[in-house]
Amino acid sequence: MIDPLHALTIALMALTTYMTRIGGYLLLRNRTVSVRTKAVMECAPGCVLITVIAPDFVTGHPADLMALALTTLAATRMPILPTVIISIVSAAILRSVLA
Amino acid sequence: MSELDVQSDVVADMRRHQVWHGLRDAWPVMLGFVPFALVLGAQAVQKGFAVIEVPMMTGLNFGGGSEFAAVELWTSPPHVLLIVAITFLVNSRHLLMGAALAPLMRNLSRRQAFAVLFLMCDESWAMGLADARRSGSGLRLGYFFGVALGLYGCWIAFTTIGALVGPVLGDVTRFGFDMAFPAVFLVMLAGMWRGPAAARPWLVSLVVAGATHLLLPDGAWYVPAGAFSGVVAAYAWARPA
Repeated sequence: MIDPLHALTIALMALTTYMTRIGGYLLLRNRTVSVRTKAVMECAPGCVLITVIAPDFVTGHPADLMALALTTLAATRMPILPTVIISIVSAAILRSVLA
Repeated sequence: MSELDVQSDVVADMRRHQVWHGLRDAWPVMLGFVPFALVLGAQAVQKGFAVIEVPMMTGLNFGGGSEFAAVELWTSPPHVLLIVAITFLVNSRHLLMGAALAPLMRNLSRRQAFAVLFLMCDESWAMGLADARRSGSGLRLGYFFGVALGLYGCWIAFTTIGALVGPVLGDVTRFGFDMAFPAVFLVMLAGMWRGPAAARPWLVSLVVAGATHLLLPDGAWYVPAGAFSGVVAAYAWARPA
């Protein structure tokens, strides 16, 4: 079943996202965007993504931290599928070894 | 047959050809979407989404980064304003992408433009732009919709499959399955990497968000704190041209 509050959240997300899609086309097409505004917009998605997973970096479980370090290493060198597999396998092994 | 009919036939034919061309170019990207989509769908259900709500979100919103952030922050009941604000921040780059695409969309009607923009994601934007530059005659609708609808259909289909298959796997935090989620985030970040200087604000976000989470473990205060400090850092570090 669809939860009304879930539906509202999803609808507002969708509306917000569509506004960002048409907003640049409608408002910015004949303007020069300042270097700073541009820098902020380009940087914001990364800032948000790293923020959202920040709690994983400050966990007190050594096994999780080590698995996260391995995963970070993998993510900088490999595509998604091997990275995800390494993350799952390393977390499983390290947790059972260090538990 | 009048000359006009023949002409419109030729145009329709060209457009069909472009759609196929777009789909053919898009399918490696579609393949790359699959693992992201499966992880997202499975995690969404784990966080309390009904299965039907997953394609609702991925079909109406169609912005992977914001959907991952929303699912990660999802609680029952969800913090509506937090999720909407984060959605805006993750997707604010669309403003620049739309502005960059605008000069290539002069050949389109307003309605066509709004349809194109609904389907504009990082990949369809980049491929549509590259094709428009090749053709030299603005954005080609057939090609763009071939690419974009392929990606859109793939994203909705596989997030739904993830939502259906996820519960079969059981609790994803058992074993190491929960580590798949930060792994996906890190791969997305690696894709956005533009050198260490450009990534300094990310480090600010990470440190501030981590510290805030340690000091205030209850609630999601670390999210506005980390996102805001990173954005301020990006603003401060940006060199005026």
